[in-house]
Parts: sequence; C-alpha cells; structure tokens
Amino acid sequence: MKNNQRKFKDGILQGLIYASTSVTIGILIIIIGFVLYKGLPGVNYNFLTRMWDSQTTIVDIDRNSVTGGSAEENYVESLGITIALDDGYIIIKDIKKDSPVENALNIKKVPYELKEKDVIAKADSTTFRDITAEEAVEVLNEGTGAIRLKVTRPGGGIVPMVISTVYIILLTLMIAAPIGICAAIYLNEYAKPGKVLNVIRFAIQNLAGIPSIIYGLFGMLVFVQNFKMQYSILAGGLTLSIMLLPTIISTTEETLKEVPNVYRQGSMGLGATKLQTISKIILPSALPGILVAIILSIGRIVGESAALIWTAGTVAQIPTALVGSEAGAATLTTKMYWLIKESADLESATSIAVVLLALVILLNLLSKIITKRFLRNRTGN
Amino acid sequence: MNDITKFSVSDLNLFYGSFQALKNINMDIYKGKITAFIGPSGCGKSTFLKTINRMNDLIEGVTINGTVTLDGVDIYKEMDAISLRTRVGMVFQQPNPFPMSIYDNVAYGPRIHGIRKKSTLDEIVEKSLRQAAIWDEVKDKLKKSAQAISGGQQQRICIARTLAIEPEVILMDEPTSALDPISTLKIEDLASELKKDYTIIIVTHNMQQAGRISDKTAFFLTGEVIEYGDTEQIFNKPSNKKTEDYITGRFG
Amino acid sequence: MNNAGKEKMVTENAAIGNQAVGNQKDYKDLVFRTIFLLCALLSVLSVIAIITFVFTKGLKPFFGENAYSFSDFITGLKWDPGKEVYGIFYMIVGSIIATLGAIMLGVPIGLMTAVFIAEIAPKKMVAIIRPAIELLAGIPSVIYGAFGLGVIVQLIKKVSPTGQGESLLAVICVLTIMILPTIITLSESSLRAVPKSYREASYGLGASKIQTIFKSVVPAARSGILSATVLGIGRALGETMAVMMIAGNNIGGLPGSLWDKIRPLTSNISMEMSYASGRHQDMLFATGVVLFLFILVINLLLIKITSKVGAQGTKN
Repeated sequence: MKNNQRKFKDGILQGLIYASTSVTIGILIIIIGFVLYKGLPGVNYNFLTRMWDSQTTIVDIDRNSVTGGSAEENYVESLGITIALDDGYIIIKDIKKDSPVENALNIKKVPYELKEKDVIAKADSTTFRDITAEEAVEVLNEGTGAIRLKVTRPGGGIVPMVISTVYIILLTLMIAAPIGICAAIYLNEYAKPGKVLNVIRFAIQNLAGIPSIIYGLFGMLVFVQNFKMQYSILAGGLTLSIMLLPTIISTTEETLKEVPNVYRQGSMGLGATKLQTISKIILPSALPGILVAIILSIGRIVGESAALIWTAGTVAQIPTALVGSEAGAATLTTKMYWLIKESADLESATSIAVVLLALVILLNLLSKIITKRFLRNRTGN
Repeated sequence: MNDITKFSVSDLNLFYGSFQALKNINMDIYKGKITAFIGPSGCGKSTFLKTINRMNDLIEGVTINGTVTLDGVDIYKEMDAISLRTRVGMVFQQPNPFPMSIYDNVAYGPRIHGIRKKSTLDEIVEKSLRQAAIWDEVKDKLKKSAQAISGGQQQRICIARTLAIEPEVILMDEPTSALDPISTLKIEDLASELKKDYTIIIVTHNMQQAGRISDKTAFFLTGEVIEYGDTEQIFNKPSNKKTEDYITGRFG
Repeated sequence: MNNAGKEKMVTENAAIGNQAVGNQKDYKDLVFRTIFLLCALLSVLSVIAIITFVFTKGLKPFFGENAYSFSDFITGLKWDPGKEVYGIFYMIVGSIIATLGAIMLGVPIGLMTAVFIAEIAPKKMVAIIRPAIELLAGIPSVIYGAFGLGVIVQLIKKVSPTGQGESLLAVICVLTIMILPTIITLSESSLRAVPKSYREASYGLGASKIQTIFKSVVPAARSGILSATVLGIGRALGETMAVMMIAGNNIGGLPGSLWDKIRPLTSNISMEMSYASGRHQDMLFATGVVLFLFILVINLLLIKITSKVGAQGTKN
C-alpha cells in the first residue's frame, strides 16, 4: 500500500519533469519555427546584398557601341545593356562585358558603376514613365556620345546594418577586451585579499546586474549629450564596453584560474619576472578561454538593443566617422526593433531575425568548438 | 677540508601565519656536493628548500626571519628574488613542462634573460639537453610538444630547462616521486653526473635514493633539523635516536 | 615571535621585494602592475559614474524651483507628459506583478528541466538539450519581443474578454521564457555540485530515484537555486525591449486582471526616450532611478547569497 503511494507520487513528479523539459524545448522550437516561417520568405539575395534605402544618383556615361548582345530582346547597343519593364519601371536586366555603364561617373565625377536591377528613371530630358521597353531602347540609343541617366538603385537590404554591427563589435572589443583582460590579470595574478579587491569585486558584480536600459540612459546622457558625440558608433561602443566588462573579466578570470600553478612556479623558478611569466606562459595557456570570452561578448553585442538605440541611433547607414552625424548606425538588432515599433513591419523584422538567429547559432558553435578542443588538450596531458 | 660553503643558513624560522613550519635552522651547504633532505611528510624539508630560492615569497602570509647567505651574500636582503632564482634553479616534484615545444621549453629561460640569437639558443638547448642526458631521445622532435613525451622524459626536459639558465645550484624537490623506477634511476644517474658542475640539493621521501646519491644528508622532523652530516654516517651510525628510528623504518 | 637581534623579514610578495633592488625589469613589472590595477579599478569608476549621472539627472525634477512632488511621482496612477502628470506607481505594481508571475512559472519549469538534465537524461540527450538551452539564452530580446507580438499576443487576443492581446499575461509568458535559460543553467550546475555521497546515502536508505532527487539532492542545492531565482528576478525586472512590444503600455491605472495592459518601468523609459526632452526626459531618468534601486537591492541580495555559498564551499 505504502509502496503504491510512493510509486504514484514518483510518477507525478517524473511526469512534471518530462513535461517541463518538453515545454522548454518546445518553446525553442516554436520560436525558431515562427522566425523561419515568417521571416525566411523575405531572406533572399537582394535582402542580403542591398542597401537599406533606395539610392538615386545621376550619372554620365560615354556611349560606345557594344555588340555582344545584339540578338537579345531590348538590347541597348550604345550602352551594352539589356533592359526590361518591371512593375512599370525600366530596369537594367543584363550588362555585357566592356559595357560603358561600368565606367559611369556621378555628378562629382566619382565612378559609380551601374548594376543589374538598377532602375533607369530618366535619360537626358526624357522621364521613363508609362513607357515600353522598346521605346526606352530607342531613347537610350538616340544620338551618340555622352548621355545623362537618373538611376535608382533599389534598397530593402541589410548591408548597412551588417557593416554597422561589425563596426560596433570591433570598436567595443578594441576598448573592452584589453581592459577586461588586464583587469582579470590583476584580480587573478596580483590582487591580495583585502578592501581593494572586495570593492572591485563588488563593483563588477553590480555592473553585471544593471539592466541594459540603464546603460542606454547613461550612454545617452554622458557620451551622446555631455561629450557631444551624438548618436554614433563610438558612443555605442563605449556604452557597450562598460556593459561587457563584467562578462569579459569574469570569463577571463575563470580561465586564468585554470592555468596550472606549476607553470607559474616553473617559470618563476627559472628566474622569470611575474610579467614575463604572465605574457609568456599564462596568457598563451589561457588564450582559448579568452577567445570564448570574446565570442560571448560578440553574441551580447549582436543581440543588444536597449543600450544601443539611444547611443548609436537607428539610422540605416554605413558609418563613415567615429562621432557625429555620419557615425550614427543601426545594428541588425536595433533596426529590427525599429521596424517593429516604428513601422509595425513584423515581416521584415523577422527576416532580420533569421539572420540574427543564424549568427547566434554560429557563435554558439564556435565557442563550443574552441572549448572542446581546449578541454581535449587539457585532458590529453 | 676542501669543502667550500655555498649556502649558509643561520637561525632560520618560518611561519605560515601563526604556524611555525621551520624552527631555528642552522646549516651549511657545500659546493659541488649533493645534499639530501629526508624526513616524513610535513617535516618542513620542502619548505626549507623553497626558502633557499625564495619561492616562498609567492605564498601569502609567510614570515621568515634569520639569514640565508649564498657565497656570503644575504639572499633576502642583498639580492632580488629574480637574480637569485637564475643562480639557484629548481626542479619540481611533478614534471611541469610548459605547454609549448621541447625546444621552446629549454629556450624559455635564456629567452627571458635576453638571449635572442637563434644560433646561441640552438647551442644552449643542445648543450642543456645533452647534459640532462635526453638529447638522443628528443633530438628529432624538438618542435614537438613537451607534454607529449613520457613523465620521465618530461622531468629530464625540466632539468634541461633549469640547466639552460646556467645556475650554480640546482634544487630538486622530490624529482622522482611521480616517476617509474627506470626513469628514477636515470634521474639519479643524472644527478650524480651533474654534481661535477653544480651544487645539488635534493628533497626525497626515498631513503635508498638519499643513500645512493647524496654526500650529505639532513634529517628533518616537525620543522627542525634533527641531524645533519655525511650520508654514510647518518645511514650507518646515526647519533640521534630519532634519526635511527626513521632510517630503520620504525616510523614515518 | 622573533628574538631580539634577529632580522625580521616580511616578504609580502615578490614584486615588492624586487622593487627594492630597482633594476629595469622590476620597474617594468611595476608599470604593468599599475596598468592592470587601473583597468580593474575602471569597473569601480563605471559603477560610480553610472550612479552619479543617472541619479543626478533623475532626481533633478524633485528639487529646486518648480519641483515636482516626489510623492505624487511615486504614488501616481497616471502618466501623461503632455499634461505634466508623471505618476509611476501603477508601473511599479505592473513590473513587480509581471516579475513575480514569471518567477512563479519559470522557476518550477526551469528547476524541473534542470533536474532532467542533471539527474535523469542520458548523456546523448544532454548533448542535445544543453546547446538548445544555450541557444535560448543567446536569442536577442528583440526576437522574443517579435515572437511575443506575433504568436503570444495573437493567441491571447482570441481568448481574452477584452479582445486585446497586449496584456500582463503576455508579459508574464514572454518573461517566463526569457528567464528559463538562466534558471536552468544555474540550477543544473548547483545540482551537479551536490556530492555523490548524498545520493548514495539516500539510496542506501531505500529511497527511490525521484525521492532521492527531491528529498536529498534538490534541498542540498537550494542556495544555488535561490541565487538562480534572484538572478531571474533581476533579468525579468530589467528586461526592456521584449516587454515593451507586448505590454500595451497604458497611460494609467492599476492592472485588475491578467488581461489588462501594463506599463513596466523599463517600457516607460524606452517608449518615450527617443523624443522626450526637458522635464519629460528627466522624469524618464527618474523612472530609471526607481528601476535602479530595485536592481540594486536584488544585486545586494544576490551577492549575499553567492558569498554565503562560496563560504560554504570552502568549508567543505
């Protein structure tokens, strides 16, 4: 009787355990499924290779007869391109070898090579509206020599966000990694128990617990406003650097702890200074762990939004400066946020989410591989 | 008679916090001899060894008083730990090659002391490995990891690594305790060979080992030196009852 | 301790010992040691700077001329910047209820999953589940927000008497999911840290596997589970982006049921930060200060728990 009761209780608990695990794994599958179902249709070549905003440029082209495609439909011999009517717009369908459009110059005389799928909106004084492809070919072939085109390159791609994300990752790691690693060295190799160490540890633990929205407020107030950096990758990078310090410090410290003490003794026993021991023995041994710390940080940067929106902004542009209006940049994540909140465009947002998920999985795999190889080396001794 | 004093230790006391690990040690260690420290675990022999090259400096809360001189110079007051350790090399209980190649292990010491020239380093590495009687075994795999060879070979690499900084004294802290009997014999032969050029101090658990290779033996018990003298005398006619009990295996 | 005439040498560490000799090597060591120390102190400086700047700006509206009443701010039930009305009490309540709800759901589910991974699952299964949980931890919160908006809110809309999907319930659901990885990983490692002898002793007394787990192993790991819970509270309270998208963010009123909209503290900041200025902006910082104080208490709690665990660890 008592035994049956016990079996019954055990059964219930076991059922709860299995149910909980299924819920956890189920949630993950549903989230991934949702993101793929909603987002994957939007992920295509254009999405991955184009700028976000469409870009209109006026170019001058020196026409020069190219015969490569004369057999094709709607071939513009003087430009070496074929064109087509697409949704009311005249687009470049194909560009032949040695076509003069490869040497197109914009108004500032800077080369601006035309690409397939560019929309031709105007040729000299003729606006291409309500026009057939055949008529357009005629207009483009009219006369000889220079022709001025108004070309619109369609947007809808994530290239600027990818580049901005990479910039912010690099900038943040350039600041936070050396500082974090040096701090970890101090804590593990130099510091002695006492007040200073307690204060530092207390600060690191607190820093780790502060939510990213507070970092965002701080970064906006100090870097963006007080230091007049405006929304910029530097303001974003500095804010994220502070936020990531605890992660980098504690992960690095863990790996330093794992470096066997006999290495330190061996080196000191040969008359090496502490600094030589650190740079020649300890850091090389700890390198895989430090790499994992850096990968973890990259993951955090890629996923961060609250600390970046008010420090780096949400403009989809490729930043060309560290501070100022040219330096504002949306990362993939902040753009995704912006799409949901400001334009309620869940489809495009989830397409970005597909890319983000792929990145996160890649980073997780990378850190797994490093940890595995590292552990194998260790146990191999 | 022709014994030249290398180390002179007087009134040495060492505390870990409030625990006294060494009590009033007075001892002269002679040049070109092998001196063995024996005694049961926790008797202070390893602690004393580490006092001689100031490895105890690395431990928290250690207090040392008394004097230790090397060639008449006080190693705690008139010498810095780094230059002391380049004159007094150390081989540890566990073979502890660094996670790098055999070559880089042996060249590590010379490199940190500023030798950069490849040909000089090559020379030092070969000479040290030959001296450590391991050259023939590893000459074809100098670029291989020093952690991929046997424990006995690793220990001889560590000895070569110590020899490469050209020390005057070599401290060996139970260098064979982690090795098989054949490797142990090789290390012992090596020690006897090295004594021509170096002063050697060896801490050992193994009394036969002390008897086989050392010229002088010191018996430690609970932080004190009970007896110190010629190995023959210590092993054959010890003057102290406790030494005799230990030698004959009645305790420890 | 030492007799007269004997030199006392306190060798605190090698670096100081070397410094006395003062050759170049030691000078270099000292320089780097100082650099390392400064890097470590930077985290202290950061905490001080964050507190100083955020608090100075956040407390500004309550002092000086034309000060806003602090008690109106902290007890107010309406947030209407256009009319200069800034009350956040209903947000505090919303944040706390949502967090408690997430903890009440997330801790049992997380703990059970951790038990499965640490005690029951075969190795091969662990090799699949653990990376899955790490992935769950790595998913950016914006994606959780999109998921909440695209799935959870839609589902709730279908059953809610209010016909609205954005609600306290949606927030609780998403926060539960978001704290799961934290709870699972920390609980799992503390379960694994329980010595084998505890299990053996329990089996030896005739206990079943499940009894052993819940009567012997889980209680032994309770401080680890507790710190996982506290960490989860911190996460839930500080989560911003995911929550903002699904909370509804009403401009006033206490939540009466799970179907009601809420406006968590974090949401309040992120909703209006991009265009707020003047007092309005200061008030958002003031909201940040309140949030910060909550987090600070949680941090202190966590530090206290973990240091206790650490002390226990060294004793054993």
